[in-house]
Amino acid sequence: MATAPSQVVEATVRCLARMGTAKLTAEDVATEARISRATLYRTFPGGKDALLRAVVDAEVTRLCSALGAAMGAADDLEDMLVAGILTAARAVGDHPAVAYLLSHEPGVVLPHLTFGGLERLLAAAGGFCAPYFSRWLEPDDAARAAEWAARIAVSYFLCPSARVRLDDPAAVRRLVRTYVVPGIDALCGRGGSRELAMSHPGERM
Amino acid sequence: MTPARQRIIEAAYGCVAAVGFSRTTVEDTARRAGVARATVYRCFPGGRDELLAAVVAWENARFFARLYEEVREATTLTEVLELGLRFAHRDIVSHDVLQRVLQSEPHLLLPKLTVEAAGTQQRIARFLEPYLRQELAPGADVGEGADLLARMLLSCIAAPGRWDLSDPLQVSLLVRGELLGSLGVGR
Repeated sequence: MATAPSQVVEATVRCLARMGTAKLTAEDVATEARISRATLYRTFPGGKDALLRAVVDAEVTRLCSALGAAMGAADDLEDMLVAGILTAARAVGDHPAVAYLLSHEPGVVLPHLTFGGLERLLAAAGGFCAPYFSRWLEPDDAARAAEWAARIAVSYFLCPSARVRLDDPAAVRRLVRTYVVPGIDALCGRGGSRELAMSHPGERM
Repeated sequence: MTPARQRIIEAAYGCVAAVGFSRTTVEDTARRAGVARATVYRCFPGGRDELLAAVVAWENARFFARLYEEVREATTLTEVLELGLRFAHRDIVSHDVLQRVLQSEPHLLLPKLTVEAAGTQQRIARFLEPYLRQELAPGADVGEGADLLARMLLSCIAAPGRWDLSDPLQVSLLVRGELLGSLGVGR
């Protein structure tokens, strides 16, 4: 698959935010990116579908980068969960193309958020995040905890509740402290992550 | 629900089961129900769209009725969750019409299952509240806890991920682990 030059990716995202996928044409992208249609076709001989796939790929890579940086900088499990959820929610929630698609072309986004699509999303999110959880948890527990945290984030993102808004750092911290960390403690066995941290002070698990 | 409305919805469901959503028409529904087209439009002034929405709501309600039958004897929260998860998974996996629709034309169902899931979520949460109340420490937010549980149940049923929900042992691990653990139950 062709790697999308960032200029083309950003131009495509701007177009998607205005008109979605159905009405998008190569002409629109080329104009917005200030390149010739010939140049665009050379980079994406597979046409619109190849372009869209490459753009999704690039945006997901960008999200993973931001997530990795935010989670990697955390000093403890709670901070990591808060940073991860806030970063992901902000990146997706503030994304103009996602916002347009959710309201005008839900059929494009929603299949990825339930049943088979959600399974794939959880596998990808869990797989990406598990190594970060491994700083504090045994590997099996890390994978299980990562899936659990991803489920919670997806659910509250899709269906916000009044008291739990994922764009509010205080609300996210309360969610993590009240429910997510206790859930992770339980899946590790009583006392779980905190006990591990206390019995091996300073040691990276 | 009037008998006519019921008969029409059942007929529409039969059509969907036979040929799917997109090929289900008011005409075929009327014929199958043994009523005039005008009768269908009288019950469903919004036409085909309203009729199909009613079919989805009806089968949704039947699913919850079946689920309720399964869990009503449960006395503890643990029992409710374990029975509920196992039954819901079994029912969905063996639900031919649902599986076919999800495969070929999911767009009618998707909003209900994602961004509009609040109604279903609330319904489940309300059912769980009394069970949760008897297990939580006084002062705990039962409503919020029940809401979280409902969300996680829906998530696991729709997308089991790492969990084999047909395995009672795994269901038990999940329920007694992160599900109840997140609410401080069973410590």
